[in-house]
Amino acid sequence: MALMPKRVKYRKHQRGTLKGVATRKNYVAFGEYGLQALSAHWITGRQIEAGRVAATHYLHREGKVYIRIFPDHSYSAKPLETRMGKGKAEVAGWVARVKPGTVMFEIGGVEESVAKEALLRVAHKMPIRCRFVTRRHSLG
Amino acid sequence: MAELMVLEAEIREQKGSKAAARLRHPKVGKLPAIVYGHGQEPMCISLNARAFLEAIHHGQRIFEVRLPSGRQTVLVKDLQYDHFGKQAIHTDLMRVDLSERVTVSVPLELRGTAKGTQDGGIVDQLMDHLEVECAVTEIPEVIEVSIKDLGLGDMIHAKDVALPAGVVLKTNPESLICLCNLPKVKEAEEAAPAAAEGPQEPEVITERKPTEEETSAE
Repeated sequence: MALMPKRVKYRKHQRGTLKGVATRKNYVAFGEYGLQALSAHWITGRQIEAGRVAATHYLHREGKVYIRIFPDHSYSAKPLETRMGKGKAEVAGWVARVKPGTVMFEIGGVEESVAKEALLRVAHKMPIRCRFVTRRHSLG
Repeated sequence: MAELMVLEAEIREQKGSKAAARLRHPKVGKLPAIVYGHGQEPMCISLNARAFLEAIHHGQRIFEVRLPSGRQTVLVKDLQYDHFGKQAIHTDLMRVDLSERVTVSVPLELRGTAKGTQDGGIVDQLMDHLEVECAVTEIPEVIEVSIKDLGLGDMIHAKDVALPAGVVLKTNPESLICLCNLPKVKEAEEAAPAAAEGPQEPEVITERKPTEEETSAE
């Protein structure tokens, strides 16, 4: 089952806009390597789950995968062949709103080449262009 | 200690993000910075970005900044990057005296392969910097931590790290730096089917619950 919140204050959200860049979650904080979004997009719970499965399957039992994004924003969609109006449609899914620079996935406890390959597989599941990043240890 | 690198700097008259962005333009090639410390007024300056970053990449942390008002010895306290982590956007420079001791954050580097990884364990690094006090001229570029003898279930605390001579630990000595544990695969596998059986929709906190009268009327 795709990711979604356990409890929410309101079921339906307004769509909103995805302006600007990531001012938080924009560096590798937990693992050693990460996958950074290069553009803004909605990432659905299913896409996040697909990415997690792709990474854990490739890593077998090695390393640790961290997911830094969570689908906390609902979107609604009207059924097919329905006339417009009659109020806001039912919730069709949940998404994480990702801005350019967000580190979406992180991997730790494995070698760089392994992490790179695993995150490449995750990137294939994402609807946006992504970049492999490493943790910045020093100022440079 | 080798001679300090001298950086030409200019006082920034215009402040704000737009003025700073103009300075960072490739044709201008400047890096906005601030100089503070020693009880004096902070000064907004701009540096030659290329020369400064080249020196930083080579491990230099102390510079001599040449300003119209005179020379100042500074220590790089922080370097901010843009949202992609690619372009440096600002740096904090602290005035220092070459004879004083300072508290700085030094990166930790794990060396070797942990013994526990042969038994299926993974090394989890919880801290990647240590706060230490040392002489300005003897700031270590990196503190190496050997994890060769780290077995399954073993931990390394801040107090276990061998520091170079003259360097004093300022971080809490009980802080955990890294540990070697077995990955929790089984729990995750068990949790997955449980989640599948859970509710398909989240609970709505503000949803109006039917009153007792309404339920009894039905």
